[in-house]
Amino acid sequence: MNQQLVHRRTAALAGAALLAGALMGCGASASAGPGGGTVTILQSADIAPTTFLSQNNPNFAIIRTVFNTLTTYDRKTLQPQPELATSWQQSSDKKSITLHLRDGVTFHSGREFTADDVLFTLKAVQRKDVSSQLKHVAAAITGMKATDAHTVTLTLQQPVSNLFDLFELMPIVDQATFDDLLKGRRFVGTGPFTVDSYTPGVGVKLKKNPHYWKTGLPHLDGVNIEVQSQSQSMLSSLRSGQSEVGLDLAPLDTAVLRGDPAFRVIASEADDATYYVASNVKLKPLDDVRVRQGIAWAIDRQRILDQALAGIGRTSSLPWSESSPAFDPAKAGTYHQDIGKARQLIAAAGAVGKPVNVAFNSGFLTNQTIAEIVQFGLKNAGLDPKLVPLQAADFFAKLGNGNLPGLYVNVHGFGQLSPATLVKGAFPFNAKKNASNFDSPEYRAVADQLWSANDPAAYGRANDFLLENQFVSDLVVSAHTFTVSSRLKNLDYTMYDYIDLDDAYLTD
Amino acid sequence: MIRYALRRVPSAILVLLVASVVVFAVPRLTQGDAVTALAGPDATEETRTAIRQGLGLDQNVVLQYVHWLRGLVTGDLGTSYIRKVPAVEAIGTALTQTITLTCAALLLAVVLGALGGVLLGTSRRPLVTRPVGALVSLSFALPPYVTGVLLVLALAVTVRLLPAGGYVGFGDDAGLAFRSLLMPALCLALPAVAVFARFLGASIRQVMDEDFVRTGVAKGLPRRRLVSAHIVPNALPPVLAVLGIQVGQMLGGAIVVEAIFAWHGIGDLLVNSVLNRDYVLVQDLLLLTVAVFVVVQTLTDLAHAAVDPRVRLEA
Repeated sequence: MNQQLVHRRTAALAGAALLAGALMGCGASASAGPGGGTVTILQSADIAPTTFLSQNNPNFAIIRTVFNTLTTYDRKTLQPQPELATSWQQSSDKKSITLHLRDGVTFHSGREFTADDVLFTLKAVQRKDVSSQLKHVAAAITGMKATDAHTVTLTLQQPVSNLFDLFELMPIVDQATFDDLLKGRRFVGTGPFTVDSYTPGVGVKLKKNPHYWKTGLPHLDGVNIEVQSQSQSMLSSLRSGQSEVGLDLAPLDTAVLRGDPAFRVIASEADDATYYVASNVKLKPLDDVRVRQGIAWAIDRQRILDQALAGIGRTSSLPWSESSPAFDPAKAGTYHQDIGKARQLIAAAGAVGKPVNVAFNSGFLTNQTIAEIVQFGLKNAGLDPKLVPLQAADFFAKLGNGNLPGLYVNVHGFGQLSPATLVKGAFPFNAKKNASNFDSPEYRAVADQLWSANDPAAYGRANDFLLENQFVSDLVVSAHTFTVSSRLKNLDYTMYDYIDLDDAYLTD
Repeated sequence: MIRYALRRVPSAILVLLVASVVVFAVPRLTQGDAVTALAGPDATEETRTAIRQGLGLDQNVVLQYVHWLRGLVTGDLGTSYIRKVPAVEAIGTALTQTITLTCAALLLAVVLGALGGVLLGTSRRPLVTRPVGALVSLSFALPPYVTGVLLVLALAVTVRLLPAGGYVGFGDDAGLAFRSLLMPALCLALPAVAVFARFLGASIRQVMDEDFVRTGVAKGLPRRRLVSAHIVPNALPPVLAVLGIQVGQMLGGAIVVEAIFAWHGIGDLLVNSVLNRDYVLVQDLLLLTVAVFVVVQTLTDLAHAAVDPRVRLEA
């Protein structure tokens, strides 16, 4: 080998090594060590500012990082804890409540937080063009008064059992910029981070709020919320160390990380992702309760849990999480796969061989897998099921209008706190008007009973009613998941799955 | 010529007008509207109605069309229902990413394709042609959604040499922007590299049989000079036509690559706008595509007419 060639090859190798070194060097993220750094959170959809006053999955990362709520439930005791409200007194008849608000809190704009902001936010929830699953609670507030700058008194038309669900769900917004908030132009809250920039469809960059009312917090310098539509891409990003948190990765993708010490897959204790199959009871043969019960007996819930949800959750015939006061472990196991019983009920209803559509949102692979398992069960039970994949916009429009073409597979929340919130606010169960077109004076009475007081007798009645009528057949009570790098410590979340990074920090 | 242009331009405008009706009507034939995404889950009918009124979607469809068309004429592409930003801003942001990706992929395709093509065309040594040929075949056979995942696993997850995804602007951090661009560009470029290399290799072999090459060899021209100054320049013209087609295919393939690498380009914008029924963006993007095609076609016809009088006379 001649000298010149040796030199050339050595130079080429050195160049390649330098390039690789430069590339890798550039890759090291700037971490300020414990107490600092920037966390990157990945989610599959863009934040949805128009729904900030309701619970909506794309907003899980931004609500509690930019805003605060009045109270927050302790996840163990389920007792409301102070947040922007420091204390409260309810009247003995439960028809009024006085909230004492935290002093010394400022919005990111520098303006002081006062009682007027609470009144404004409550009135915003009451607005027709603003969505909230707890609109019915806000609507029940007939009087609201700011007694002084830091005291609010609310008067209710009737006692309601889920008032603190509203206080937990509703971020307190800045009245001066609320219209801009709905348009995604300005995000002014009282939370630990301020919005540095927002690019619709791409993501949000947050930076530390130096004037946060919790002294010494947050530890992190910033948070990037990025949109990555593909679960596999999220997984790659996490495994490459480019990001620290992935929200709601596909359950089967989270299975890859189990046993990997570099990650934790946190299944939210709220358990508020309950998969169900429901019936449009306007359509035959689903108008017959025996057919609906037969369907509930026909489905292999365990297979759904294992194959579609990677074991995250538990099978159940009831909509409640274990944290719900209405949860009854004995009744939760009422329906399990029993093809004999299913056939018997369907035959008794004269529905053998009858066609049944099974609609689902085709953009959500988990629901497709569940729909296929449902289809298999129904076929064995004697029905003639046909899968109907629908684009998300079409599926949810039809869901909202009660026009789905038969059975439909979907996921609901709101089983974790006050049972009234489910039967009054979650559309699949809403006793006033629901996606199944199920209308029953008895059900409305059950819902009203749940709403007016925390009464164990009402829970039993509600459970029996839901199990009997099966307009919604719950299958698996699962959970939203946070896939977290072990570098990130102290990630917390609320009972509505809002991510709380107040005390979070990165380690090297 | 002016008379020809006066006759050609109105027909282009008519095509655009018909296209505007089609792109306005087609999204509205699908079920659901933007209200579903804006209202979120569990919204009441009252809330959805209020939001629909706020967007003007309850208005007569003809009125909505006229309103949109009037905006287009005055240069206002409208405001996205979902993103709440001017459509021109949303499209501009996405276009920047798609153009960056496509240009980088094109550059890689040309450089790597030329290298592969020259090696395939000029070398007779099996030690060179076999591995190069195999690599070229492999890059042609593997679609971007496979190479993308493999590249990420190898270079981002295993070695952690490059970011797994995400777009970074060159103005924000040039180094990171370059590193973020490498994998998606390579992934998009590989099929074009294969095509370019194969065509160039074949073209070079054809040129090498020409008399002027034999003359050059006989006159003792150094091989490197013969290849670079005489063979490749003569082999390139037919290959350039193929490269033009590849650019079109790259723009289509960019949709998949953008999804794998979490880039938010035109493909991502169009798909999300369709899924969320963001009519304004869907209409604008589709009409923009038609307009680009019509304008290019019209300019080509005019250029053709300018250089060939028969075209003007026939018209």
